[in-house]
Amino acid sequence: MSESSMTRPHAATAHHTSLGVDNRKLGVWAFIGSETLFFATLITTYFVFAPVNRVRPDFQDPREFLDIELTTVLASILLASSLTMVLALSASRRGDRRWFTTWLLATVGLGLAFIGGQVYEFNHLYHEGLTLSSSLFGTTFFVLTGFHGTHVAIGVIWLLSVFFKVRAYPDSPENAMDVEIAGLYWHFVDLVWVAIFVLVYLI
Amino acid sequence: MAGHHEEHSSHAHGEHSHSDRFYWLVAGVLAVVTALEVGLFIVNEQHLIAKWLEVTLLLILSTIKGAAVVMFFMHLKGDAGIFKFVFLVPLAFATTLLLSFMVLFSGHVGIAG
Repeated sequence: MSESSMTRPHAATAHHTSLGVDNRKLGVWAFIGSETLFFATLITTYFVFAPVNRVRPDFQDPREFLDIELTTVLASILLASSLTMVLALSASRRGDRRWFTTWLLATVGLGLAFIGGQVYEFNHLYHEGLTLSSSLFGTTFFVLTGFHGTHVAIGVIWLLSVFFKVRAYPDSPENAMDVEIAGLYWHFVDLVWVAIFVLVYLI
Repeated sequence: MAGHHEEHSSHAHGEHSHSDRFYWLVAGVLAVVTALEVGLFIVNEQHLIAKWLEVTLLLILSTIKGAAVVMFFMHLKGDAGIFKFVFLVPLAFATTLLLSFMVLFSGHVGIAG
């Protein structure tokens, strides 16, 4: 028995808590719980200030600015990226390096496409007269969607770092867990957009 | 020994893993629900149904989408109870926060001076 194969089981259990779960995964779920409250606060702020925006002299009507066609494309991109992410995790668990690489890099590409679309949207809104300080709608809208876009950017960096770390042996327990917890964060970012898409753009 | 290792590996990877075909199916359902949301929004620009009904339907559809992402893509369905606890408790608190502030400040214009 080689040294590496003898140490592998130890490495696999090195992160287990007394609860019988991986402490990194537990940490990411706890982080996601705190992020849920963070975004709930931003969404709540958007709704609390919406009626105030309507009666102020610098009122800007969201319906005149928000482009549902572009946003639908962005929502579809993020939903597709969740599919490619879970397929990357599936491929990593069965040790399929080729498809792991394909699906993970596809997820990164879709994330970059989303960021590009959001930059386009922000640039378009800016030239239409909607800025961070033009009205309460502008302030609450850009803070909420800007923070979400920042999370997408962080997710892309996280996915790329995981890819370069685990690409040689994506199916080892340590590496598969790295992929899984990065995926949890990525799906959460998608989940936030599901809420923003409906609450900000459709309602 | 080998059986024990497989059992541990299965637990570490989650006993709730699905086939790739299943994930494609979930993604298809999510795409259909998204199309329904956008379709409802566009159709009701003609004010065919009451706004409260449109909002209710949109919230139901988005809840279905969110639940599918959490249960199947994030594998929370069937995962350890502690993961559900650390996510669902803040989610319930966040939902309560949003609803409470909506009730308190809906239509109230004095908060920002």
